Amino acid sequence: MADVHLNIAGRSYDVHCADGQEEQLRQLAAMVDEKARSMTGSTEVRQLLFAALMLADEASEARGKVEKAGPESDSLRAAVALAESRAAAAQDELKAAQLREKRALHDAKVAAQREESALAELEKLRQGAPVAPPAPAGRHDRALMQIADRIEALASTVEQMA
Amino acid sequence: MELDLDESSLAIGRIERALSRIEKALAQRAAPSTPASTGDSTDSAALKAEVAAVIGELDRLIAEAKNG
Repeated sequence: MADVHLNIAGRSYDVHCADGQEEQLRQLAAMVDEKARSMTGSTEVRQLLFAALMLADEASEARGKVEKAGPESDSLRAAVALAESRAAAAQDELKAAQLREKRALHDAKVAAQREESALAELEKLRQGAPVAPPAPAGRHDRALMQIADRIEALASTVEQMA
Repeated sequence: MELDLDESSLAIGRIERALSRIEKALAQRAAPSTPASTGDSTDSAALKAEVAAVIGELDRLIAEAKNG
């Protein structure tokens, strides 16, 4: 235990407190002394009475503020939870987007390799023997019709000879 | 005017039918029941010449279609 000497409203008091709480006790005594001294022109008992009433009023007001802050704290906690949930969802979305981007890059790489391979093949063809351009389809069709005409004429000749 | 696919198919159908007609005529000609005519060897020579001409003509048409 520690001994502490206090001065409140002009009177000295020797009190005991737990070790380490001396400074806190002196600060509380200073608050009571301040309130008591603000009540001038009164007896010591009334000064202490009004100091006690004023401090009780302040304590009550502070308690009311804490109670009012309760719902706000709940809202705040809900908002924090919502924000954390959204942050988690955003993180998941980010991971999914990164995965999609990785896949898209892979696809693009494969496509580029295919294109490169096709270009190389084309270049080989260009460097090789000149390839005659494909005949237009109409030319083949005309040839087919002429062949049909000629074979039909041959069939008529063969039938006449038979 | 270029032929469309249906007209190409029509041409091929005509060729197939004409070949079928030739096959049938040649089968009739080779049948033992058919009485031999006096101008048989002359007809055979003419037929061979005609077939050779047609083959040459077909080769030419095919080459033209390929090379333009």
